[in-house]
Amino acid sequence: MEKGIGASKGYGIGKVVVYRPADLHYTPKTGCDPETEKKRLADALGRFLERNERLRERVRETAGDAAAEIITGHIMMLQDPYMSSEIEKQIDEGVCAESAVESVCDLFIGMFSSVDDEMTRQRATDVSDIKQEMLGLLLGVRTVDLTDLPKDTVLVARELTPSMTACIDRECVVGFVTELGSKTSHAAILARAMEIPAVLSVENALEKYADGQLVVVDGVRGEVVASPEEDTVARYMQLRLDFNAARAENAKFVGKETRTADGRRVELFANIGTPEDAENVLSNDGEGVGLFRTEFLFMDRSAMPSENEQFEAYKKALLILKGKPVIIRTLDIGGDKEIPYLGMEKEQNPFLGFRAIRYCLHNPEMYRAQLRALLRASAYGDLRIMIPLVTGVDELRQVRAMVAELMTELDERAIPYRKDIPIGVMIETPAAVLVADRLAKEADFFSIGTNDLTGYTMAVDRGNAKVAYLYSAFSPAVLRSIRHVIETARAAGIPVGMCGEAAADPALIPLLVAFGLDEFSVTPTSVLATRKEISRWSKAEADRIAETVLSLDTEKQVVAELGKYI
Amino acid sequence: MVSKKVTVVNAMGFHMRPATSFAGAMGKYPCDIKLRVGGKDVNAKSLMNIIAACIKCGTEVEVICDGERETEALAEATGMIESGLGE
Repeated sequence: MEKGIGASKGYGIGKVVVYRPADLHYTPKTGCDPETEKKRLADALGRFLERNERLRERVRETAGDAAAEIITGHIMMLQDPYMSSEIEKQIDEGVCAESAVESVCDLFIGMFSSVDDEMTRQRATDVSDIKQEMLGLLLGVRTVDLTDLPKDTVLVARELTPSMTACIDRECVVGFVTELGSKTSHAAILARAMEIPAVLSVENALEKYADGQLVVVDGVRGEVVASPEEDTVARYMQLRLDFNAARAENAKFVGKETRTADGRRVELFANIGTPEDAENVLSNDGEGVGLFRTEFLFMDRSAMPSENEQFEAYKKALLILKGKPVIIRTLDIGGDKEIPYLGMEKEQNPFLGFRAIRYCLHNPEMYRAQLRALLRASAYGDLRIMIPLVTGVDELRQVRAMVAELMTELDERAIPYRKDIPIGVMIETPAAVLVADRLAKEADFFSIGTNDLTGYTMAVDRGNAKVAYLYSAFSPAVLRSIRHVIETARAAGIPVGMCGEAAADPALIPLLVAFGLDEFSVTPTSVLATRKEISRWSKAEADRIAETVLSLDTEKQVVAELGKYI
Repeated sequence: MVSKKVTVVNAMGFHMRPATSFAGAMGKYPCDIKLRVGGKDVNAKSLMNIIAACIKCGTEVEVICDGERETEALAEATGMIESGLGE
């Protein structure tokens, strides 16, 4: 089995066709007749345009307008006045059309790849794609006909270029495996639009797989299984069946409001870790962001991010989400998340130690920079601030005092921000559960972090195999805590959400509906499935189940009872 | 010659799709159209130049049109940028 990047979900089982790019070697010539070369170039260009315009219509039908725009971009790149004048300039100097096209394309490839911006770097692939195609046309080389692949083909290639993806008939291709590519490459976007499973970044894939070999493409886990045994194939066929059925079922919930069976409207948000993830929230139909982890800004680097850098990142997410709510959690480091340049000391008990809000309040300059960046960004959308690891009202008061000071400061400098910015707390410690009534008087919202709440309530380290069995959100103690927090928030009239993994668990959803949770925040890809689960339950039915479940004594009994309804 | 400063407002800035439609729209005008970004001039009719300039959301851009139908070109260019380039 080979690991790669699962760039398009689903399971593909089929036979390999290895796509090797055509041999585009040629001998560069000089002293050519410019008129002849220009004519050759014009011919190739004509065929390029004809082919791509046809391709564009095909893509528009199979993958939609947005995907077709990529092909329009290719056409425009080649017709670009600057690009064509550079190519002609070279031909006028006696260079052959092949060399002229290649050197001008290479110039742009170099230019785009050196930019410190993922989106621009991706454009280098487009230019390289155009170059290959033009050279093929100029040299009269026939490339593998991707439009005529046998049924159940798993296409193995060095790289999936947009024009290749566009030729592909989704009736025939059941999976992609490539040596290059990332989740954000065009190929990945097109594969997802066509709903063809894809595993990218598999090393030496061209050598590893042979034409006609049976393989399984597991786009969910990002794995490729070569020459699988019969029982493995059977297992994957079942997975594929279930996956496709669930996908068809979920598709019915796109663009719908999230409502319980008896019509109560709840909010369905998504959890993200970078501003770029905000795109995933939209493409999965999330209604906002319930947890934006800010640690990414601080990790994998050698110094603290500046206030401005933070501001830009938060602003970017807000702009992408166009006015949808975005709950941003302030820095939650410590515990298992270590950041070398902060010089945090090793602790005996990091989970009970100097972390999250405790660390931030102890380093007010650093925390002020984050809060100021958040306030400045709040002018660009519906930003809400969330404080992690709260144990009582004094932490919340300290943060509010800092925010008030910063607001005065911003007012003096006439910098805009959201005056009524909501400040909420994460409920993830038993202490916060027990003083939830006090917190509810001063917080604008609650968000239950079930991962840590389960660990702290059960006093268990989920990483310790000997005690991990105790780690379960279905433990009666955890369920009672969740119910108590939701009831307390509702009594105080503040919204309460949940941003742990449990919010997307179909077994827990009836209980959350019964307790009256206002907002569910799940991984972007779980949005539609969660919307479907919520729509199955009415308050009355959910209440009946909750009553039974809360009368049970053990976690095992709870899991067994809830298992009946999945 | 006419010119006007505008700010890029769409979240992703001048990425492939908006840049394609922008350069396409500018190509219809006979006058010279430039985008001045951070002291550098970019040919507004050239998709490749626009992409290489990597113009992000929040950037101030001066649109400079010179020649036949310059007023019309300036109005369309600034209108497109200010309205978020169709995003």
